[in-house]
Amino acid sequence: METRSFTDYLRGLNDAALLSLFEHRPDLMSPVPPDFASLAVRASSAPSLARAVDSLNAWQFQVLEASAAIKEPMSEKEIISVTDSSAKFVIPYLQSLALIYKSNDGYRLPHTLRDVLGNEPAGLGPISMAKLSMKKLEEAPEPSKKVLEKLVWGPPRGSVGDIRNPGPGIEWLLKENFLVPLDQRTVVLPRNVAIHLRGGKVHKHPVPNPPALEGRKVKQDLVNHAAIANIATLLRWCEEILNFWSEDPPSALRAGGLGVRDLRACAEHLGVEESCAAFIAEIVYLGGLVVIDNDDRVIPTHAFDLWLTQSAETRWRTLASLWLVTSRASGLVGRADSKNISALGPELDRVNAASTRKLCVVLLNENLELAPDATSFNALAQWRAPSRRNPGMQKDLISWTLREAEWLGLTGQGVLSKYGRNFSNQEDSLGIDKDLPKPVDHILIQSDNTAIAPGRLEVEIARTLDSIADIESRGGATAYRFSETSIRRGLDHGKTGEEIRDFLRKTSKTPLPQPLDYLITDVAKRHGRLRVGNTSAYIRCEDPTLLTQILSDKKIEGLPLRRIAPEVLICDLDAKDVIATLRNAGYLPAAESGTGVLLTAQRLNRAKSKPRPPRVIGEIERPSEDSLAAAVRTLQAGERSSHKQSALREIANNALGALPRTTANETLEMLNQYIKESQTLSIGYADNNGSATHRIVDPLSISAGSLIARDHGTGDVQAFRIPRITGVAPL
Amino acid sequence: MTDGPLIVQSDKTLLLDIDHPLSTECRRAIAPFAELERSPEHIHTYRLTSLGLWNARAAGHDAEQVIDTLLKYSRYAVPHSILVDVAETMSRYGRLRLESDPIHGLVLVTTDTAVLEEVIRAKKIAPLLGKRVDAETIVIHPGQRGHIKQSLMRLGWPAEDFAGYVDGEHHEIALVENGWKVRPYQALAAEGFWHGGSGVVVLPCGAGKTIVGAAAMAHAKATTLILVTNTIAARQWRDELLTRTTLTEDEIGEYSGSKKEIRAVTIATYQVMTKKKNGVYAHLDLFDTHDWGLIIYDEVHLLPAPIFRFTADIQSRRRLGLTATLVREDGLEGEVFSLIGPKRYDVPWKEIESQGYIAPAECIEVRVTLTEAERLAYATAEPENRYRYCATTATKRKVVETLTKMHADDQVLVIGQYIDQLDELSEVLKVPLIKGDTPIKERERLFNLFRTGEIKCLVVSKVANFSIDLPDATVAIQVSGAFGSRQEEAQRLGRILRPKADGRTARFYSIVSRDTIDQDFAQNRQRFLAEQGYSYRIIDADDVSQGKI
Repeated sequence: METRSFTDYLRGLNDAALLSLFEHRPDLMSPVPPDFASLAVRASSAPSLARAVDSLNAWQFQVLEASAAIKEPMSEKEIISVTDSSAKFVIPYLQSLALIYKSNDGYRLPHTLRDVLGNEPAGLGPISMAKLSMKKLEEAPEPSKKVLEKLVWGPPRGSVGDIRNPGPGIEWLLKENFLVPLDQRTVVLPRNVAIHLRGGKVHKHPVPNPPALEGRKVKQDLVNHAAIANIATLLRWCEEILNFWSEDPPSALRAGGLGVRDLRACAEHLGVEESCAAFIAEIVYLGGLVVIDNDDRVIPTHAFDLWLTQSAETRWRTLASLWLVTSRASGLVGRADSKNISALGPELDRVNAASTRKLCVVLLNENLELAPDATSFNALAQWRAPSRRNPGMQKDLISWTLREAEWLGLTGQGVLSKYGRNFSNQEDSLGIDKDLPKPVDHILIQSDNTAIAPGRLEVEIARTLDSIADIESRGGATAYRFSETSIRRGLDHGKTGEEIRDFLRKTSKTPLPQPLDYLITDVAKRHGRLRVGNTSAYIRCEDPTLLTQILSDKKIEGLPLRRIAPEVLICDLDAKDVIATLRNAGYLPAAESGTGVLLTAQRLNRAKSKPRPPRVIGEIERPSEDSLAAAVRTLQAGERSSHKQSALREIANNALGALPRTTANETLEMLNQYIKESQTLSIGYADNNGSATHRIVDPLSISAGSLIARDHGTGDVQAFRIPRITGVAPL
Repeated sequence: MTDGPLIVQSDKTLLLDIDHPLSTECRRAIAPFAELERSPEHIHTYRLTSLGLWNARAAGHDAEQVIDTLLKYSRYAVPHSILVDVAETMSRYGRLRLESDPIHGLVLVTTDTAVLEEVIRAKKIAPLLGKRVDAETIVIHPGQRGHIKQSLMRLGWPAEDFAGYVDGEHHEIALVENGWKVRPYQALAAEGFWHGGSGVVVLPCGAGKTIVGAAAMAHAKATTLILVTNTIAARQWRDELLTRTTLTEDEIGEYSGSKKEIRAVTIATYQVMTKKKNGVYAHLDLFDTHDWGLIIYDEVHLLPAPIFRFTADIQSRRRLGLTATLVREDGLEGEVFSLIGPKRYDVPWKEIESQGYIAPAECIEVRVTLTEAERLAYATAEPENRYRYCATTATKRKVVETLTKMHADDQVLVIGQYIDQLDELSEVLKVPLIKGDTPIKERERLFNLFRTGEIKCLVVSKVANFSIDLPDATVAIQVSGAFGSRQEEAQRLGRILRPKADGRTARFYSIVSRDTIDQDFAQNRQRFLAEQGYSYRIIDADDVSQGKI
């Protein structure tokens, strides 16, 4: 009887079916397989199958598992009989994924699928080959029944003290072949027995339908209201955390990431919990708004400045999109069981993070107006995408996703907002810009030297104000305080008092209070009255006319002199040179020390710095014999090379003609041998471009994958990477 | 997102836009739980503190109300963390209660045993506790009532005090409203106090705090101990009580350095109470000699530390604190809260001014430029003498002269810190000087002459900072002050805030040497007034001499 193979089945698919297969299993088409045979190989490879199995929901998985539990080939009826009548709707889907296929004698599974599903699908043991009379089971003695009860729902293996001397219950079962011994201490319940005991079904709790989502109803306008608040807060948080870091960039941990104390400082600054601070830190990190630079500082980037100039909607969308697809789970930061995981650190990636997040958003999108409670949401998510490998992690990821969605403003009061909906449907406009309060372009200055910006300030105004006032309170509005220090800071940044006043007059809705006006004038008046600079020499003279003469003297034009007072000139050259130049020009300068003492004697040149003798590192150790020998060889080789270099090269060229060729193992062996023999070698050595050159060397030693040898060409001791040595030959 | 007047900041400050139509309504709504931090002309700043929220709980507001109010008036979305924090903080109040048990006396009772277990394990609490009656009740020695309240508050589990007060010895006291009336805010303040049990009333100087005290006494109708800063203040209290209440001279006693009368209403000075004899406070017994029904602390912000300690022991008596400012230069605001009681009433100065109960005032800072010689002397002065030097320069004297001439028809007070400077001024201006060593009789005589207008100008030292009542001073000239003390500035301004018969604007001049630390101190001092809505105008001394004001 001819059985159609998996390849034949695939070959027989029509275009639509193939398209759907590729759609569900995109990994099969990258790259596109050249023929159906290779498609079949790829589609039945374990990784690809595992991926396809992971995409199944709980019920689809159960049907597949049940199919794997029964004998191939199987009919639809057989599958239904061990599952549920609704399996018949699932089979075509599994077929479209090529997880099950129809041959001419019934359904079959790609052969590796059973391995992927495990040896004991649904907790079922191997099929017993013995003839069994299931009726006999009813006569089983009481202890045997208990044993069966324990094993029936899996795992099917049980351990016994000694197989030759089991308890009475097990003895009976073994005798009747209802249990099969696996080894000295283990027995297993055969699959056919278990299915019989399971009432002909495979699963204890078939779950053909998703669990219902429970929660409380929330009106959509309340949701949007809360969500836009969250969005505004998130954007502010991001801005503030970055401004906070730009003021005083924290140092990253040696292992990478933000230290616990710095994270706590951020949390305090923002007035949020540490988990939230970690989330914000991560999200701005994802956006490239902050970077850990070469000096290990956590510092905002220019992307932050660009980001600031964008509309709120764009800013939010950038961050939200990155959040949706990232594999980093900021929720891990600061948990008791993950103490060493830090925000911005290298250990936050989790396999299912992105897919879980996407799933959550999809589920929220399917359940509008309902703020789901965590348990039922989790159950639904588990049904939709059962995580068989790490259900605990998935549960965490789901709860973090819900929490983060709220912080992001994707949801408001736990329900997907209209912005979140537009976002997940990838609409062009999310409606955020329309609903957010407009940025304000004015401040209110009060006579207690404070200014209040009654809303988010336009970026440019905020920048200017930041430079001349200290922020006292942040939030929806910002309270600034002017003080002498803050005004001075503005002046230091190059603003003039007049500019500051003009800016404030223009920006403030209220008149500029007089005390502030006076404060600015006062500080501006005093600012820069003292001037400080560096110079290396000065010329002073009690007679200003002499200094004027020096300044106009053509002979010393080369001296870069500047008059800073009638009686003082300064010069950026060394005092010694200045004196020499002046003497040459016929003046009679005297040297003076920094404290004003006249230096009469010829000054002996001494270093200005303190003595800093080199550190003594201890005695030179007695060199090892090897290194002594190596030193001698080096010496001799050096001697040889200087005299015989050209001769050697000639000999080498004549003797070899072509580059020596040896295999890698031979090379190493020969090198070791010749080092011992102190033999001069001819080697072929590949350069960066892969072309080999010919070198004559005296091998000295081998270290860290390199041959240390004296190159006759250059005369220097040099390291030759061994993999690059194409061949070795003695000269 | 409404268009409300309130902006809730994530650092728990609330910004109230005064120019918004709903601002008055909003102010009333948030006043019970938010503390007014400053009230300059456009935006008032309130703060949500644990104390404030617990106060609100004590006054019967719950977290839901607070959150509703915030949401209702907020212009922008209220940060979620704030809402959570409000609910959390408010839920802490009242988990522990002090009650009077018929069998065990004073007991600490809880509805949440976990909290009780937590606090009894605290080191500071354990020694104050008595026998444990059951899982939820612990006996407290009545003498520890104050201490345990203090310690519990520091732990963040403030106890609600249901143990009540002793009534004290009954004594009939009533207000006599002939020709004057208790102002609405005074009545509100007295009622707020009475319903709260104990606490502090904050009113600006000149707003009639004495009347609030009298009204509180009329509520209590019991023997009363009044603690004031000094003897002059004591006499003024006596005079006020005599005219405003049914009390007669025989019923009011003075307990001071010179007299030791103990009567139904006794007025004692802080000074005598804290006087030590052989290392012990000899007069603190006064608290116990009588079954006082009410204890009034005048100028709470000056309350000396020993009185605090003693106040902790008399928690079963009603306590009323009166002050113009809760700012204490020593930072003991928390002690005032836990020992005397929470703030029961306050109102911004400007609001009372707009109702016409205190005079409008104009604050002017006159900047004098030091002469070259003075500048040099200032620059080379020892750091500890610098302030004194620049605060007392001769240049200032000339400005004071000009100003007093300008205000020849007004009642002028010249106030200063340094006696030699004041001596000099009094000589140059040819006006009497009142300082620490001026005998009380002489002081009263001069004050009376000043009151009647026979003397137009007085030079006073810091003895006049507190509680002297000069009804007709319309101009104050401050030549020097304590190193930037904010409450001193407020007190001095208070001297001229009593309403004038002709509704005239009072003037407060502060004379400051330009480009010296005098200017820095002045700025610190002015901050409090600016926060109260009094804006300073700065003029140059040269403009003064040319009459340009």
